[in-house]
Amino acid sequence: MKDVGFGAALLLLSAGYYALAAALPETRLADATGPDGLPKIYALLLASLSLMLLVRSLRERHGRGDEAATSSRLHPRVRSAAGTLAIGAGYVVLAPWLGYAPALAGLLFTTAWSQRTGGESLGAVAIVSVCGAVFCWVLFVLVMGIPQPPGLWRRLL
Amino acid sequence: MIGSLAAAFSLSMVPAAFGGVTWGILGGALPGISPSITMALLLPFTYGMDPTAAVVLLASSYVGAEYGGSIPAILIRTPGTNAAAATVIDGYAMKEQGKAGEALGISLYSGFVGGLFGLVVLIALARPLSRMALAFTPMAYFALGVLGLSVIASVSGDSLIKGAMSGLVGLIVSTVGTDPVTGLNRFTFGSPQLLSGIPPILVMVGLFAVGELLAQSGEPGWTPATGASVRIRFPSAALWRRIAKPQLIGSVMGTIEGVMPGGGGTISAFLAYNEARRWSRHKEEFGKGSPEGVAAPEAANNTLACTALIPMLSLGIPSSNSSAVLLGGFLIHGLVPGPLLFVQHPDVVNGLYAGLLVANIAMVVVGYLIMMPCLWLVNRPKPYLTAFIYAFVVSGVYSIEASLFHVAVTLGFGVVGYLFRSLGVPLLPMVLGVVLGFMVESNYRRSLALSGGDHLAILRDPIAAALLALALIFLVTSIVRHLSGHERQQARR
Repeated sequence: MKDVGFGAALLLLSAGYYALAAALPETRLADATGPDGLPKIYALLLASLSLMLLVRSLRERHGRGDEAATSSRLHPRVRSAAGTLAIGAGYVVLAPWLGYAPALAGLLFTTAWSQRTGGESLGAVAIVSVCGAVFCWVLFVLVMGIPQPPGLWRRLL
Repeated sequence: MIGSLAAAFSLSMVPAAFGGVTWGILGGALPGISPSITMALLLPFTYGMDPTAAVVLLASSYVGAEYGGSIPAILIRTPGTNAAAATVIDGYAMKEQGKAGEALGISLYSGFVGGLFGLVVLIALARPLSRMALAFTPMAYFALGVLGLSVIASVSGDSLIKGAMSGLVGLIVSTVGTDPVTGLNRFTFGSPQLLSGIPPILVMVGLFAVGELLAQSGEPGWTPATGASVRIRFPSAALWRRIAKPQLIGSVMGTIEGVMPGGGGTISAFLAYNEARRWSRHKEEFGKGSPEGVAAPEAANNTLACTALIPMLSLGIPSSNSSAVLLGGFLIHGLVPGPLLFVQHPDVVNGLYAGLLVANIAMVVVGYLIMMPCLWLVNRPKPYLTAFIYAFVVSGVYSIEASLFHVAVTLGFGVVGYLFRSLGVPLLPMVLGVVLGFMVESNYRRSLALSGGDHLAILRDPIAAALLALALIFLVTSIVRHLSGHERQQARR
């Protein structure tokens, strides 16, 4: 079932990519291949392989009784991964406003808290997160001189 | 050889080598953090560094990670890296017999021997191979890119179709940005940040580091390491003599697998283990705590950390995840591995050799001193470790061009890496596609411009024709080997 989904997704990707390549404007500087030449070949190759995978997977799909059990076992892990990704996305959105250290403290706290195994208290996670963010700020910004998002409040000062 | 190493030696590479080895050992000691992830996490921070120090830092972290992987393998029966899986067998058995310190000492010493062996082979082979490639025309470069892409067939694991699809996705990613011939913007969706394309570094950090973070987020933590008082004990003179042969076997295996595209540390470690058992006078001890069973795979791992750089440095073709990340380190400093690297930047190449020598010495020193911090780190709660690795990823990627857009793109490739892992799709083909895509397209179209649009002109260039023939042979043999393996699997069922 997973391979069917993968094949279908990449078939869609190849179709969309081909359409975008075909829509590239013509240019007088174009060579024999053109800017759309190789992209179209890549799209066609990917579409062919996706179809092969789809056909093979659909043929092999029969007689697999354990698929449902496998996919239901996967759910908590997928949720966990989606949560971790959302934390990163939250950092991207908030860092320009909050600045590096507060946004990083938020990232550290939410990541550690969402993955706690039971032994960590809220206070301990909060303290480690704040200390971790300060450590990273000192290391990257002060010691190594690597720029990080300054945040809105820095601009107001 | 010694003269050029001495000339290339500079004081700035010593902290880079020591820092890289320390980072590598710590990263390698953490189960689930492979050498390539350890290097990918470090990659963005090398952006503002001196190019030689940057590549030495990355290569040294590779060297360190190969040893670091053996620490949890010996202490908690969990290999820190895939390549350390063979070390678990006898390393953990030795630990159960109260010889953990001795096993770690053998691992460290064998890694040092293997690393030096690999460095000598690297220096001996990389430059002659690159000299051959100095006569390359754009047609030959195109063919070289195709040869590099043919590696996909051997690194595709169980499914050749999925490997090829992964490679094509990488090639598609490489077409984003300004067209190399006409200057037309392609697939940028009006975003000025995509005009210069998607930097390979974002793809690598996303696929390897973020993808692994997402995959690990739903996994339980590992068993804490016991024996906090473990002290490394280097082998006695009698043991030195006993493990010399398995070390040589491991070094030879590491050389063969390192030069072969897609060979990988895991294969070389297990091959070395098997061969060491076959040639041993104490076969019966294997699996029950044999020092030779630790020495052979560890020598193989560290030999491979150097020999895997041969195709990458001389031809610009990465043969493993780690060498692909190191290639990314070269690219972000405007250095293009391949024949011209040896002509245009001999200082960087010689500096890398000297840095690797320092790194192997540093591995012994740091490996001995860092035991306690390593154990402390391995015993930290996994949620904190995950959170700090995440913090390093977002901080490092932002620092490349002070761009949160880059962080978002990296997270996007993290999702791709996570999905590919979950679906059993190999990641290296995609990296190869991203890294080699531009080389293939720009040189193909340049060849057409030179030949007046004659596609067959490529076949009339002797070097290009030879490389394409080699790619074809490589592709066909990989497919045949894959199909015969598939048939054997079917027959077993």
